[in-house]
Amino acid sequence: MPQVPSVNGAALRGPGPIDIALTVNGNAVSARVPPRRTLLDTLRESLGLTGSKRVCDEGTCGACTVIVDDRPVYSCMTLAVACEGKRVETIEGLAKDGELHPVQRAFVDADAFQCGFCTPGQIMSIVALLRATPAPSEADVRRAVAGNLCRCGAYPNIVAAGVSAGRRRK
Amino acid sequence: MNAFSYARPTALADALRRLRSGAVALAGGTDLLGLMKDGLVRPDTLVDLTGIEGLRGWSRERGKGLRIGALTPLIELEGNPQLGQLMPILREALRDAATVQLRTMGTVGGNLLQRNRCWYFRDEGTPCWLKGGTRCFAVDGENRYHAIIGARECVMVSPSDLVPALVAYDAEISLASSRGRRHMKLADLFVAPHGRERREHALRPGELITEIRIPEAALARKGTYQKAMDRKAWSFALVSVAAAARIERGVARDVRVVLGGIAPIPWRVAAAEKGLEGSELDEAACADAAERVLAGATPLRDNGYKLTLARELVRRALRSLVAA
Amino acid sequence: MPRVVKSREEFEGEVYESLVLVEGRDLPLLDGGERTEIGHERRRVDGTARVTGRARYTQDVYLPAMLFVRVLRSPYPRARVRRIDTKKAEALAGVRGVLHRFNAPKAAFRGEDTIFREEVRFVGDEVAAVAADDEDTAAEALRLIEVDYELLPHVVDLEEAIGDVAPRLETDGNVAEASTHKRGDVRKAMKEADAVVEATYRTSTQIHNSLETHGAVASWDGEVLTVFESTQHVFGVRQGLKMALKLPFSKIRVVCDYMGGGFGSKGGVGKYSIIASLFAMELGRPARCILTRDEENLAAGNRSATLQQIRIAGKGREITAIEHTSWANVGQGKWVANPTGPTNTLYDVANVSSKSYKVVTNAGALSAFRAPGYVEGTFALECAVDELAERLGIDPIALRRKHAGSPKDPLSGKRYSDKHLLECYRIGAEEIGWRRRRNGGMRGSAPHRHRGLGMATQIWGGGGGPPAYATVHLNPDGTVVLTAGTQDIGTGTRTVLAQICADELGVDLADVHVRIGDTENPYGPISAGSVTLASVGPAVRIAARDAREQLLGAAAGVLETPAGELRIDGGVVVSKGARTPLSEILGKVENNTVIGKGARHPNDPELSQRTFGAHFAEVEVDLRTGEITVEHIVAVHDIGRIVNPLTARSQVEGGVLQALGFALTEERFVDRATGRVMNGNLENYKVPTVKDVPTKITVKFVDRPDRRANNLGVKGLGEPPIIPTAAAIANAVANATGARIRHAPLTRARVLDALAVAEARS
Repeated sequence: MPQVPSVNGAALRGPGPIDIALTVNGNAVSARVPPRRTLLDTLRESLGLTGSKRVCDEGTCGACTVIVDDRPVYSCMTLAVACEGKRVETIEGLAKDGELHPVQRAFVDADAFQCGFCTPGQIMSIVALLRATPAPSEADVRRAVAGNLCRCGAYPNIVAAGVSAGRRRK
Repeated sequence: MNAFSYARPTALADALRRLRSGAVALAGGTDLLGLMKDGLVRPDTLVDLTGIEGLRGWSRERGKGLRIGALTPLIELEGNPQLGQLMPILREALRDAATVQLRTMGTVGGNLLQRNRCWYFRDEGTPCWLKGGTRCFAVDGENRYHAIIGARECVMVSPSDLVPALVAYDAEISLASSRGRRHMKLADLFVAPHGRERREHALRPGELITEIRIPEAALARKGTYQKAMDRKAWSFALVSVAAAARIERGVARDVRVVLGGIAPIPWRVAAAEKGLEGSELDEAACADAAERVLAGATPLRDNGYKLTLARELVRRALRSLVAA
Repeated sequence: MPRVVKSREEFEGEVYESLVLVEGRDLPLLDGGERTEIGHERRRVDGTARVTGRARYTQDVYLPAMLFVRVLRSPYPRARVRRIDTKKAEALAGVRGVLHRFNAPKAAFRGEDTIFREEVRFVGDEVAAVAADDEDTAAEALRLIEVDYELLPHVVDLEEAIGDVAPRLETDGNVAEASTHKRGDVRKAMKEADAVVEATYRTSTQIHNSLETHGAVASWDGEVLTVFESTQHVFGVRQGLKMALKLPFSKIRVVCDYMGGGFGSKGGVGKYSIIASLFAMELGRPARCILTRDEENLAAGNRSATLQQIRIAGKGREITAIEHTSWANVGQGKWVANPTGPTNTLYDVANVSSKSYKVVTNAGALSAFRAPGYVEGTFALECAVDELAERLGIDPIALRRKHAGSPKDPLSGKRYSDKHLLECYRIGAEEIGWRRRRNGGMRGSAPHRHRGLGMATQIWGGGGGPPAYATVHLNPDGTVVLTAGTQDIGTGTRTVLAQICADELGVDLADVHVRIGDTENPYGPISAGSVTLASVGPAVRIAARDAREQLLGAAAGVLETPAGELRIDGGVVVSKGARTPLSEILGKVENNTVIGKGARHPNDPELSQRTFGAHFAEVEVDLRTGEITVEHIVAVHDIGRIVNPLTARSQVEGGVLQALGFALTEERFVDRATGRVMNGNLENYKVPTVKDVPTKITVKFVDRPDRRANNLGVKGLGEPPIIPTAAAIANAVANATGARIRHAPLTRARVLDALAVAEARS
């Protein structure tokens, strides 16, 4: 459906597919999705970035956590169209030139996952934490991932990984 | 979610015009998208408010109190150090509210207007009274999270952590619609659903909250927020208590005790607060106040424990106001 | 030539005898000396894939032109589907197909011949399915399907279903006797006892909530059906698809590359797998049917709620008799997990009588949930043992010690292959500081906070057995491909199998590539019942040994040195005075491939392979708010040799935390009037968060190879750590407060109620 410009105000877009422009992991990308499509589904289905997981799809588990403008958000409760003009970062953007990000490395070293399904979300939450708090305490890490459920119970190792990733970066 | 059109205006007037014609306002989306996914809200048009300048951030002018824009993210209230000095109860109330992600996404205005969490209400397949049905399913059903006081046809509870804290500081709000602006006490925003009022908020169609204000006098109060959850994080309050008072030479003035999670509205009993005026908030006075706040409570089959919890939290909150 | 022998394996509390094909001889027990890989902490070999988002889970499979399937589920707990009108749904743009009971082909599923039943029997039962170009369209289409239901009387609650006034859901009633056990003379022992404790325990329904929901992506190329499925058993799914679709095995391939948790619930084919396959085959496009979180909580299994009555008698300082009766709400399940298992086998008590009943209701079917039955039963049994100890006035560990040291399984009379339970008690008591334990508890961090200590024991299987196979082949560059039909459900299977292979073969861990999760591979058992390592590991070792011997033969030829003078170490063939990299030797023979194969040999049928352990808990209870804080859990396990202490510790911590949910917060609520699950989501079904983790978790292993179990001396660890935690916590709470809470989870409401009762009594 074409965009309907309003007489004097913001354009009304949709309800059919519209073209949206996003910045994901530093790259300008575009997708054609209806306004109802969440950022999570857009990442996974339109952009092939399946690292962010769909677990509850209603903002209650954290497996879809991505970073938008340096802050952690649930991508399942965010409309893709509302992210135009913002910087979106996902798990796929962390490793550079085949080098794991310090948080990713800390997760492997500390065995901070079992099935691994919550892992991308946990890692994104801690990456966001480290930007604001470069050397977090255990309590800081716990607060940062209190919104990321892990059903395998890797929590003790997740906390250890978060603290050690902070130390490593210093 | 149903299919909808989307607009992201930059001017408030633009947004209000769209709201007048039935569009639904989107801010952080943490509640609205949930309602839409559950099929409870099926809008034709969403108006994304986050592009509007001037509704974000906070300011304090000496003598005029604190003003908080409705689109300010909760994380800002929680994390801003100056605000932490000015009104520490905000940080205390928000620390255990939802999660970092939800506090990052959620806004102050959205928090005040969030719908209740009753699982019958949230279940599209249950035609409960609040949604236009004939009866409340919780009253004879699964009701461990429901109201023990102040409920009428609907036993849902006020879910916000922020609201009791703001009410304890006599917060006022400004509202805007395409017809104009109005102001009210925050406490008056909340409605215990009854009779023809099958709603939780006294918001008029097409209206938005634009600002929250804390009067200067209230900023002199000492406050505390206590919350009981059924796990150690990420739960709505089973019971929460915001207590605030100005402590003058060891006695309490302008005492406020506001409970969340036990009634359809933030629960306040003026007589109990008056009874504490001039008190040293000793054990006996606090215990007595707790009894008065909860007088007339009528627990349901599974939520009697809330009464015990509420009494204890009121006592603890009040006592902590005079603790060293 | 393979020969057929009898084997005896235990699986989730039941013993099975089977015929096993055996070839050659099993290897002798791995020697006790220092190994290069086995016994060492190793990072997961698939760690990088998992932390980069590259690991491909079923949910991440998007195929070209794929259809999205959504399922319409019954909103009623019991009803007859009289008519379905799909006209409006089919008219919606993007809808490609609708299946329901009037048009779907017959397909066998769990003893029935259809996946869309005429009589739907729980809220969430499958009524119809829609395939569409995208998921939103499929979801919209569900709202347009009109179904005419004839409502029938229902019952969802366990105790209501047992009662006389409940509707009868089966012709012979709602309650069926599932198993009984009797030994000795319970009545006489009760009469002669010094003390008899009689108590009723309850456990609530726990839902797995694996983070990856159940689901399948099916693709049909006109010849072969390929199904990507999040499963604990690719071969089980293949078997289910064969039954449902009447295709030969050769035309079905099931793949599970990575999976996001299962905890017992993903043991075989699901209706979603069949529905996706039917659409794929009918419409010629790949079809994806992945459950939503709500659906997961309605229709993907759960741990049964139980009602358990225990009478336990003591005389002097011993337990003289136990009588245990259990009723379990299996919903629409066709089997029942046995909560009386621990009562029958854990303690050497002379007089035991137990009965286990299955109760059907109009709720979603149970499925195995990590130590099914044993978690529920151990909660009741181990609380009761503590209650008896208190009545007899003796220390709870002292009472247990009397009955925990027996080298024989009291149920079968067979000797255990190995057992160090008393050692677990000793280590655990030391670690938790049991000496501090006082009747009436200890002072906490404030006057209204009390501390207490408690413990409980676990028994489980985990001995594994055949059939399980592996092959090891060597690439010309010296890298190794290990292939097995098992799957890694998050336990670290890839990693420990790679360690065993590298260790036995003498190569670097990094050079072993593990291929699992595919029915094209040699058969592997279900990843459940804690059997994976003990079943597949010994086969991997034999395959690696076979490859090594062939390799040495090849090296002998290439190096013109007798094989007996060669050994392989760190990817290098070592001969007198020379070191030749494997790649050099294999490079010479190029594509003449060395392929080693291994099969699991049978267990000794005269022995009973079991795992043992004990958990200790220190808790603090706020007497005024009923809040329980778990300060310390000590978990001690006797599971034979530890292959990877790092991943083993993680698995124990995980079990403890899942048990913590069962003990304190997790509970499904079903509205009795409407049969609807009120908390089928992660908001109100409360799994533990990071902040619920105990201040400290100490994990200890006895770590002695079980010399009679298998060629590695290993046993399983998946289930043991979830079994005793809840009882240990409840016992600690009782010690702290004097209040006995006999219903798990121990919510604030239950704690406050019990405290009020205890106060009224004192």
